[in-house]
Amino acid sequence: MQSVAIAIEGLSFAYDKEYVLENISAKIYENEYIAIIGPNGGGKTTLLKLLLGLLEPTKGSIEIFGKPPQKARHLIGYLPQHINFNLDIPLLAREVILQGRLTLKKRRFNEEDILALQDIARSLHIEHLLEKKIGSLSGGERQRVLLARALVTNPKILLLDEPTAAVDIAAQKEIYALLKELALTKIVVSHDINILLEGVSRVFYINRKLFIHDNVKLEIEAKDGHFCEMELFEELRRGCHA
Amino acid sequence: MLEAISLLSNALIAGVLLSIAIAIVGSLMLVTRSNYLAASIAHGSYGGVGLALYFGISILLGATLFALALALLLAFLTYKESKRLDILIGVLWAVGMSVGIIFADLTPGYHTDLLSFLFGNILMVPKSDIVFMLFVDIVAGLFLFIYYHHILAVAYDKEFALTRGINVRLIHTLTLLLIALTVVMSIRSIGLILVIALFSIPPYIGEKLTNSFTKMIVVSGFVAFGIITIGLLLAYLFDISATAAIILFGALVFGVVFFKYK
Repeated sequence: MQSVAIAIEGLSFAYDKEYVLENISAKIYENEYIAIIGPNGGGKTTLLKLLLGLLEPTKGSIEIFGKPPQKARHLIGYLPQHINFNLDIPLLAREVILQGRLTLKKRRFNEEDILALQDIARSLHIEHLLEKKIGSLSGGERQRVLLARALVTNPKILLLDEPTAAVDIAAQKEIYALLKELALTKIVVSHDINILLEGVSRVFYINRKLFIHDNVKLEIEAKDGHFCEMELFEELRRGCHA
Repeated sequence: MLEAISLLSNALIAGVLLSIAIAIVGSLMLVTRSNYLAASIAHGSYGGVGLALYFGISILLGATLFALALALLLAFLTYKESKRLDILIGVLWAVGMSVGIIFADLTPGYHTDLLSFLFGNILMVPKSDIVFMLFVDIVAGLFLFIYYHHILAVAYDKEFALTRGINVRLIHTLTLLLIALTVVMSIRSIGLILVIALFSIPPYIGEKLTNSFTKMIVVSGFVAFGIITIGLLLAYLFDISATAAIILFGALVFGVVFFKYK
């Protein structure tokens, strides 16, 4: 029996009294690969921020390995959306990856941090990028560096917000292949429905409410993968258990 | 001749201390994209000059307290009213200047030196200001030394920094307080109107020429000192305002770098 990594119970969240998420309950098990999909404004990114402890639930609770999100940050690696970064800043890829080792009290890097950096760079095949300016990297290269930043603390859970949004198709495939290889709990928020073909174990379709689908891949294969996003969402909503 | 040498040596000491502040605080302003906030503090702190004149206290003290209060208010507003921050910054900017003008008007007597706070004169920096400049440089250096990696994490990706438990509000607030101190230390040498230009140009050049923040700070420090020294020389040769000569020469260098690296 796999142990529960994340337990969400009766979770609701409202911005200015308007509910974005309503009464969501789910259990995510260790080493599961979850895709969160749904329309814009449906609450995908809000759920991710609640899991990260950046927002407080209006109702309900979240536990990550039995702890509230704010006390479980060391267990989570996070790859944010591409839009949030300051790309002009003169920072080397190496320095960006090491930022993943910082905490409130940790302000300097030691030998252990450098070894962790070298390990993760080797396993993601990005040693050649370490001394390059972060703003000079291509979209795919930058995502691999940011994935390294998320993984440099050896987290138990990896949260990714639109990891393929700003990259070309070749880089998308590369990122999905990398994610497949990683043995940890993975939760990916994505607009790219191709992720459903990349070995996810379950799909969470979110549009204010949560619909969980267990067997999406088979249905996609049955339809030769020809899906319009809206058709897929509708099909997911019908075929899922709320 | 001796008097001219004394003035120039004083100006060069002020120039070195100013260059250190520009290197550290100007680079912080650029990577945290705080130039507009800094401009608001710079212009708004004229309110402190007017209040200090009216109440007959030290102008340096009045401007320092006013600029620090303005920085704290802006730090608070950044988090509470971030959607309308641009408007609030603009209003505070104008309110500060208006307070300064009104209290200066209400103060009996004719104040010939008021313009010098707006446009500065690096040749007339008093010894007390040199000591204050040294103090601000030390504070800036300590802030950078203690929070170097946290500052860069916040500047690059604030959301990720929050997930690592970094106190983003503290870094932002301390950065603004440091900007306030730096603005005040530059009042007599560069003036409130021109200070942001001199704090933006060398770090911009440093950012374009280097690939790390440490190198950016070092390069912008040398560029700042070069601009100040050559500006002073031009002012001496052509008998023109030192501050205006420094800013115009800086703008010329900026133009060259901007079009080469845009």
